[in-house]
Amino acid sequence: MEGPYSGLGSNQREGYELGIQKINESDEFDFTIDATFENTKSEVSTARQKAQKLVQQDDKDYLSGCVSSAASLAINSFAQEQEILWVPGGGAIQITGSGCNEWSFRAETHSGQIARAFGPWIPKNIGTQGWIHYADYSYGKDINTSFTEQMQASDASVNIVGRSTSQLGATNFSSYISQIENSEAEFVVLGLAGGDLITFVKQAVDAGLKETVTITSPTMCMQAIRNALGEAANGTYGGVRYDPKIDTPANQDFVERYQEEYDGNPDAFARAGFDAIWMTAQGIQEADDTGPATVKDSLPGQEVSSVFGSNTYRECNNQATNPVWVGRNVPSDQGGSSSVELLSQKSGQEAVAPCSEVNCSL
Amino acid sequence: MSLLFEQLLNGLTIGVVYVLIAAGLSVIFGVMDVINFSHGELFALGAYFAISLAAPFGGPGFWLALVVAPLLVGIIGAAIERFTIRPLYGRNPLYQILLTFGLVLVIADIIVLLWGRQQQQFSGPPSLAGSIQIFGFSYSLYNLFIITFGLALAGAIWYGLNNTRVGLVIRAGAQDREMVQNLGIEIDRYYTLVFGVGSAIAAAGGVVLGGYQSVSPAMGHSVIIPAFVIVVLGGLGSFRGAVAGGLLVGVIQTLTRSYVPLLEGLVVFLLMIAVLLVKPSGLFGDPEWQEAGGEHTTLSTGSGGILSKSQRLRVGATVVGALLVIPLGTNVLYSPYIVSITSDILIWALFALSLDLVLGYAGLVSLGHAMFYGLGAYTTMLTMIHLTPSVLVALVLAIIVAAIIAWVVGYLSIRVSGIYFAMITLAFAQVFYNLVYKFEWTGSSQGLYGATPMYGIAGIGVAVGDLSLSAGPISISSAEVFYYLLVVIAVCSFLLVRRIMVAPFGSVLKSIRESQKRSRFVGYNVTAHKRNAFVLSGGLAGLAGGLYAISNGFVSPDVLHWLRSGELVVMAVLGGIGTLYGPMLGAGVFIFFEDLLSTYIEQWRMVLGTIFILFVIYIPRGIVSIGPYLRDRGIIDITEQKFERSEIDDD
Repeated sequence: MEGPYSGLGSNQREGYELGIQKINESDEFDFTIDATFENTKSEVSTARQKAQKLVQQDDKDYLSGCVSSAASLAINSFAQEQEILWVPGGGAIQITGSGCNEWSFRAETHSGQIARAFGPWIPKNIGTQGWIHYADYSYGKDINTSFTEQMQASDASVNIVGRSTSQLGATNFSSYISQIENSEAEFVVLGLAGGDLITFVKQAVDAGLKETVTITSPTMCMQAIRNALGEAANGTYGGVRYDPKIDTPANQDFVERYQEEYDGNPDAFARAGFDAIWMTAQGIQEADDTGPATVKDSLPGQEVSSVFGSNTYRECNNQATNPVWVGRNVPSDQGGSSSVELLSQKSGQEAVAPCSEVNCSL
Repeated sequence: MSLLFEQLLNGLTIGVVYVLIAAGLSVIFGVMDVINFSHGELFALGAYFAISLAAPFGGPGFWLALVVAPLLVGIIGAAIERFTIRPLYGRNPLYQILLTFGLVLVIADIIVLLWGRQQQQFSGPPSLAGSIQIFGFSYSLYNLFIITFGLALAGAIWYGLNNTRVGLVIRAGAQDREMVQNLGIEIDRYYTLVFGVGSAIAAAGGVVLGGYQSVSPAMGHSVIIPAFVIVVLGGLGSFRGAVAGGLLVGVIQTLTRSYVPLLEGLVVFLLMIAVLLVKPSGLFGDPEWQEAGGEHTTLSTGSGGILSKSQRLRVGATVVGALLVIPLGTNVLYSPYIVSITSDILIWALFALSLDLVLGYAGLVSLGHAMFYGLGAYTTMLTMIHLTPSVLVALVLAIIVAAIIAWVVGYLSIRVSGIYFAMITLAFAQVFYNLVYKFEWTGSSQGLYGATPMYGIAGIGVAVGDLSLSAGPISISSAEVFYYLLVVIAVCSFLLVRRIMVAPFGSVLKSIRESQKRSRFVGYNVTAHKRNAFVLSGGLAGLAGGLYAISNGFVSPDVLHWLRSGELVVMAVLGGIGTLYGPMLGAGVFIFFEDLLSTYIEQWRMVLGTIFILFVIYIPRGIVSIGPYLRDRGIIDITEQKFERSEIDDD
C-alpha cells in the first residue's frame, strides 16, 4: 500500500475485500474467510517479512497480494518453503515461468499474455517501423523481448528502428522523446509501468510526439493511467486486461458490488484481487478440505468461474487463462479521462503461450 | 546536430529546476550550516499546492499557483526553522541532518494523507501548450518557459543577494556569523527569512516541474539526492555554484542518457566523488566554509547510565538470558514470528553496532553504510549460488569484500571531514546501488535467489533449513538454530568491539573525536586510525548484510538504498551513539515500533518521525540517556549509584 505501486495496491485490496464479502455472504461455500491485510511498501524485504508475520503469527494458510513482481517472486519461494498457497499479483512472466512452483497460482494476467494479443496487432494495424522504450528492470525487459518476438511473428514485416532504456522511476524522458521524434519510427512500444508511463506520455504529448508517432503500451488503457493523464491519453493504444463492460453474470455482480461500495468502476487490479479470492475459494470448496496441501493438488486444471466466465489455472504452470483485448483510448462523452474502445480480442486459450513454451516444471 | 541541440535544451530544462532546488539548499547551508534533507519534500509540497490551486481555477489557475504555492511553502519553511531547527543551532550539523530527516518522514506522510498516493497531474496554462519552431525544429513551449522562468528567478535572487542590504547581511552571515552578531544585527531573524525564501524557491521549482511531469509522493525523495550532488559540486554555500552545478548536472544527465546509457545514474556521483577529492570546497565554494561540520562542535555521545558497573553487568546478562529463552516460548506463549522479528532485530543491531564504531567513536558521519551491508549481502548470495553453499565461507568472504571496499572508500574519503565525508560516502553508496541494476549476474532489479545455505564446509554439513534439534520435551526448529547463531554472533561482536574500544586504539579514536588537531599534535596518525576504524566497521556491516541474505534467502537492490543508511543513523542516534549498546538498543526499538505501527496505522512514518524529532531536540543522547535525563530533572530519585563517564571508561 506504499511505494511506487501504492495506488494500484489500494485497488487490488478493494477487489480482495469484495471477493471476501462474496464468499462470506454466499451459501455455496462451507467455509468463511478471515483475512488480515499487511503493507509491503512495494519492497521485497518488507513483503517477505510481512508474509512471514502473516503465516507465523496470524496462522494464515493462504496468501495473496503484491503488485511488484520482484516481491511476488520472493514470496513464491517463501510459499514453497512454508507450504502455504500463494496467489501473486505481479505481472512478470517469470512468476509462472522459471520461478514457478506448485504452491503459487496466478489469477492476474501476465505481460506475455498481453504481448501475444497486442504484439502482432501493432504492425498489422499501425505501422511497420517501430521503437521500443522500456524501463531497465524485469517488467520492462519482459516487454522488450516478448513484444519483439510477437511483432516479428506477425505476417507484416516489422522493423525496430531503435531501442532505449530508462531507469525505473525516471522522471525526465525528454532525451528519449527527442531521439524517437528524430527517428523513422511510426509507433513506439513503451515497456513502462505506473508513474514512469504517465510521466513519459505527458512529456511526449507536450513535446508534440503524438502528432507523428503512435504511442502504444501494454498498460496504456489502465484506469489509473487514463485518470492521471486526462485528455493526453486520447489516441494512444494499449493492451486491456479487464473491461467493466464484459458481459458475464459474474462480472455484472462484481461491478455492482464495486459500485455500491466504492463508486466508479473497478479496474484490472481490483478484478485480479477479486478473482484471486473467488477462483481459489472454488478450489477449496471442490477439494472439500481447507488445507492448502490438498487444494494445491486439486486446483490445477480445475474448471472454475471467474469474472471472465469459465477459467482454469493451467496444469503446466498454474497460470489463469484470461482473455486479453486491444484497446484505444478515445475522448469520453463526459469529458475528462478517456474511455477505452475495444478493438480486438484474444480468448484465454489464444493469449496464453502453449505449455511447451513455458519454462516451468511442476 | 539538431538532435544534440534539442538534447542540450532538454538538459537545461531539468537543470534549471535543479538550480531552483539547489539554490535554496546551498544558501541555507552557507548561512546556517544546515543540510536540509526535507528540502525535497518542500519542493513536492509546492507541486501539491499547485494541484489544489490550479484545478478549481482552470487556465489562470497555474499562474495563481505559481505565486501562492511558493508563498505558502515559504511560510511553512519559516515555521520549520523557527520551531524545530532553531533549538539546534550550535550543535553538530549531524543533528540538523537528523532532524530534517525526521521532517522528511512527517511531511511525506502529510502529503499522502491530504492528497493520496495516486499519481496526479496538472497542466500548464493553455497559452504555453504545444510547441514552437526554433532554428528549424519544433520544441515544447512549456520547456522554454521553464528555462526562462528559472533563469529569471535565479537572476532575481542573485541581484537580491548582491545589491540589497538584506543580501549583504546574508552574505556576511555566511562568511562570519559572529562578526555580524557583534555588529548588532539579529542574525536569527535572517535565518528564518533565508529558510523561508529557500523553501519558497524550491516550491516554485515544484510548481513548474509539476506542470511538466506528474506529481507523486515520491517526487521529493527523487530530487533530494541530485540536489545534494549539485550543491557539493558547486560548493556548499555558494549560490553561483548551485546555478552552475544545477545546469551542469541537468545537461550531463540528459546527454549520458542519450549517448552513454550504461553510465546513467553513475556519472554524476563519480563526478561528485572526483570533485570532493580534488577540491572539496566545490567548483565555486569558499574554502573557508569547509570548516563547517568539521570539529568545532562534537557529537553528543551517550554519557553512561544511572547504573553501576555491576548493575550494568547484570542488565547485560539478563538481556542475553532473555534472548536465549525467547525460542522456548514459541507456540506456547506466542507465535514463531517473535523469533523471526527478533532475528531481524539482531541483524540490524549488528549493523548499528558497526556504524557506532565510526559515528560514535571516530566522529565520522557515514551516510553510505548500506553500501557495506549490501556488499556483504550480495557477496554471501553470490558465493552460495556459484561457489559453495557453506555459510562460514560465504560470511568470511562477505566480511573480506566489505572490508576491502571500506579500505578503498576510507582511503579516498577520510581526507575530507564533517558534511563532506557524509556526502562522499552517500555518493559511493549510490554508485553501488545503481551498479547492481546494471548487471544480470547481480540479479538486476529482481535480486538474487535460489541458494541452499549449509552449516559446514567443503560439501560436508547440514542445510540451514534442515538442522533442527530435539532433546526430550524441548525441540528447536531450524529457524531457531539460526536464531541462536545470530545471538552468538551479535554478543561476540559486541564483546569484541568493546574490547577493541577499551584498548589504546579505542582511546585514540575517542581523542580524535574530541579534537582532531590535539590528537595529531600528540603524535597520533589520525587518518590511519580513522581508516582502520572504518575498515573494521565496514567488515562488521558486511557480516550483518551476509546474515541478512542467509536469513531471508534472497537479496534485492533495496538493501543498498540510501534510506537504509538514513534509517541506520536514526536508530543509532535514537539509542545513543558512542556507547555500542545504545545503537543496538535503538535498532531494536526502531524495528519493533515499525513492525507494530505499520500494522495498525497507515501514517506510521509520521508517528515515528515525530518521536524521532522530539528525541533529536530534547534527548539527543538517545534512549540510554533517559535515565540520567530524568534523574537530572529530579523525576526519579536514585541515590546509590556511581556515575561513570561511560561503560567503557571504567574498565
